[in-house]
Amino acid sequence: MTWPGFLAAGSAWLFLLLVPLIVFYFLKLKRPRMDIPSLALWRSVLADRRVNSPFQKFKRNLLLLLQLLLLVCLILAAMQPFWPSGAERVKNLPVLIDCSASMAALDKPGGISRLDEAKQRVGQLIDELLPDQRLSLISVSNTARRLTEFTENKRVLRDALEQLKVSQVPSRLEDALRMTQALARTVPVESVLLFTDGNVPSIVDFELPFQLNFQRLPSAGANLGITALNAQLADEKWEIFVRVESTKSAPGAAEVMLFKQGEKIGEESISLEPGQSQRLSFTMEASGPTAVEVRLKPDGFDALDSDNTAYLDLPLARPLTIFCPTELGSYRQALKGIKEVVVYPADEGGDTASSYDLVISDRKEDAELEAGTFVFVGVVPDDVQKLLRIEESAVQVVDWQRSTPLLQHVLLAEVQIADNPISAEGVQDKDYEELGYEILAQARSGPLVLRKDLPGKQMHYILFHTDRSTLPYRVGFPILVTNVIHIAERQAGLSEAVAQPTGVLPPRTLSPEKSYEIIGPDDRRQSARASTVGVLSGVGAPVIGRYSIRDSGQEVASVGVSLLGPSETSLVGIDQLQFREVSVAAAETILKNDRPLWPWFAGMGFGLLLVEWWYFQRRPAGMP
Amino acid sequence: MEITSSQAQFTSLLDNATLSRLERLRLNPRRRLTNRSRGEHHAGKGGTSTEFVDYRDYSPGDDVRYVDWNIFSRLERPFVKLYRHEEEMHVVLLVDASTSMQFDGKFDRARQLAAAFGLMGLMNVERVSAYSCNHQGQEPVFLSPCTGRISRKRLFDFLETIPGGGEFPIEQAVEAVLRRHRGRGIAVVLSDFLTFGDFDRAFNQLFSAGLEIFAVQILAPGELNPEVTGDLRFVDSENGHTLDVSSAGDLLGIYQEHRLALEEELGLACRQRNGRFLSISSRDPLDWVLFDLLRRKGWVR
Repeated sequence: MTWPGFLAAGSAWLFLLLVPLIVFYFLKLKRPRMDIPSLALWRSVLADRRVNSPFQKFKRNLLLLLQLLLLVCLILAAMQPFWPSGAERVKNLPVLIDCSASMAALDKPGGISRLDEAKQRVGQLIDELLPDQRLSLISVSNTARRLTEFTENKRVLRDALEQLKVSQVPSRLEDALRMTQALARTVPVESVLLFTDGNVPSIVDFELPFQLNFQRLPSAGANLGITALNAQLADEKWEIFVRVESTKSAPGAAEVMLFKQGEKIGEESISLEPGQSQRLSFTMEASGPTAVEVRLKPDGFDALDSDNTAYLDLPLARPLTIFCPTELGSYRQALKGIKEVVVYPADEGGDTASSYDLVISDRKEDAELEAGTFVFVGVVPDDVQKLLRIEESAVQVVDWQRSTPLLQHVLLAEVQIADNPISAEGVQDKDYEELGYEILAQARSGPLVLRKDLPGKQMHYILFHTDRSTLPYRVGFPILVTNVIHIAERQAGLSEAVAQPTGVLPPRTLSPEKSYEIIGPDDRRQSARASTVGVLSGVGAPVIGRYSIRDSGQEVASVGVSLLGPSETSLVGIDQLQFREVSVAAAETILKNDRPLWPWFAGMGFGLLLVEWWYFQRRPAGMP
Repeated sequence: MEITSSQAQFTSLLDNATLSRLERLRLNPRRRLTNRSRGEHHAGKGGTSTEFVDYRDYSPGDDVRYVDWNIFSRLERPFVKLYRHEEEMHVVLLVDASTSMQFDGKFDRARQLAAAFGLMGLMNVERVSAYSCNHQGQEPVFLSPCTGRISRKRLFDFLETIPGGGEFPIEQAVEAVLRRHRGRGIAVVLSDFLTFGDFDRAFNQLFSAGLEIFAVQILAPGELNPEVTGDLRFVDSENGHTLDVSSAGDLLGIYQEHRLALEEELGLACRQRNGRFLSISSRDPLDWVLFDLLRRKGWVR
């Protein structure tokens, strides 16, 4: 049998107050005297009442009894009783509340969101907080944010809970758990409470040092949403692809509308079976930089609104500019067969451009050119020269990364190479990696092809000169050149455009070391400073919509971000979280906490006070 | 009606108009309890008045003057004429003057009623005596039997000067009065009858003494409908005894039941002895009591 406990059992000494109460009651009880002609009738009345009322003695001192009960209730309230839930009571409890986009989903038309449901449960937890318990609220989205310190202040906790809003980003638990782990170093944390709809990655890369109570909220209703939006340039036209998915709970129908610069240019109706997805394509003429918006208008109830709109920024459609010295005839010959490229310098020599999308060169000094993609042939980077040397001897490719964009579909087997890169003694692959290089192709004694990513640039180094190999005579050579073109187009953003997800704005090249103001769709303003090379990055974008990047009030760029999370749109809730060593299943019961009983005793005391007042102030019975 | 002190009034107990109206009323006892002395009340047996009642057969020794000779001449049998006998009735006024009667005009009302009943007796040539009971163990203050209109002043003076206060229980007061009283008639008992004793015995003694009981219970408004609440300590006005009562307001219902039961018990005790009982409030109008209530109840005619 469970007995209530007391948090302040020391207050039991207050029961001693009963003694003076009783003493003072009888000492102070002074009845008003009233002269009456005779006691004859009243004596018989009292004798009759004693016979008929078994509780006469009880009623006789009813005032004392009520006062005793009132004092006992107040003392019990002061002792802070609680009804134990059966679970082990924790003193410091971090509460993780999922605030990802799926938490905004409603359970039914006009219903409440998952976050509101979580707020209600956490609010109940705060209400039942015992005086020696402290909570710390932590919001979980794609990152974690601590809302409160460990505190027992209910007002602070309630304020923080009230201000909690949904971030339109996918959820990740790792950051929140690491933050909790850091908190556990300052205060003892035995258990952590997680409120989520279960729409989180099922595998969590984290080793649990504490007990996790996984409280899964009830599932949301049916939902339709845009999960992918991208475009490809073909024949001076943009082909825009939209993927719409529905949840498994119910079929859905909707209209998909395409807007170009705010003007509707396309519309299609779709009907999806439960759990099905559909890919739609729209075609539009390529012109200058264009802001495209896709809106989904569901026919029926839709649990989540944030995935019904997606934004896409189409770049200016133009030919790829390539610098390739005339000495590299094989490359220039291969480039001639590719459309929509402009090769500098022209065959007859002459003009050059100020910047290029792609530089293919065998001269080290061409690294100074302004371009996004570089392919150096027969050039060893300066920082690599100490790791290897080039010998003139025949060598063949031993292995290469067949899936890397540069060498995709390129067969390097049996290619004869006259330049033999030989790594210095003791140099291993990790030495190249430490310098930021990735080995794409490997000879017996050293690397043949290296790749390095720099801010805004992709550098490819073919350490042997292709003119001193059989590669130009192989079928794979034009494929290699085509791969280079694709890499350059992707780097320059010319051939395709992909809608950006929420979270962080994509890096953007602007003026170096300049501060910009970014205004979000919710009118939230933030400022960021471009790096020394002019890259503006790390700008938070937790809300879908367009972000305006401004310099002194003048808009210099506009970027749209969308939810585009298939997992968020599916609203699928997992029942089990898999950590590195253990798995945690969702709790089957609603979290039980020790219930404080002092409000009940205080309420009973107040009720007794009212009863006492009413009893002694009511109109006497029998009065006309 | 309040007791008046005007010099023009015959008595301070009753005003002159009430007195003149009372002089026309006669007491109406259920039984003919009379004395041998001649009076204005017809005796049950044959008498010598001029009012014929009946005939009866002549018996030897009967006064031949009462033989109806006309009947004898027709029937040749002697019959004696019977006449109603008019005898004197004794009216005993017993006024409870204890402290319990000193509340809210009860004693004044008792004296007024005593004056009224006494006046009716005097005006009908009855013997009227009055007793006032105050302190236990002491002899009652009394007015010797008097009769006739001329005794009015004496009666009123006695009633006006009755001292108030004391703890004489009414049942013991009755016994004390009967130890002194002689004669049959009516005993008018004016009291609140709030006593711890047994009034049955006193009523039996009155009945045995040939007195028809005219009991009037006079209660104050505060006794008829007490307005009490909360915890109180009641103090008996006669003996100073106290009684603690909690939540007195709750007991008012039971109090009323007991008061009505006492009233019923008194009424039953009187009826069983061919008497009359009446319970009035000390605040009831005197004229209404005398000329309406008593008439309707058949106490006077």
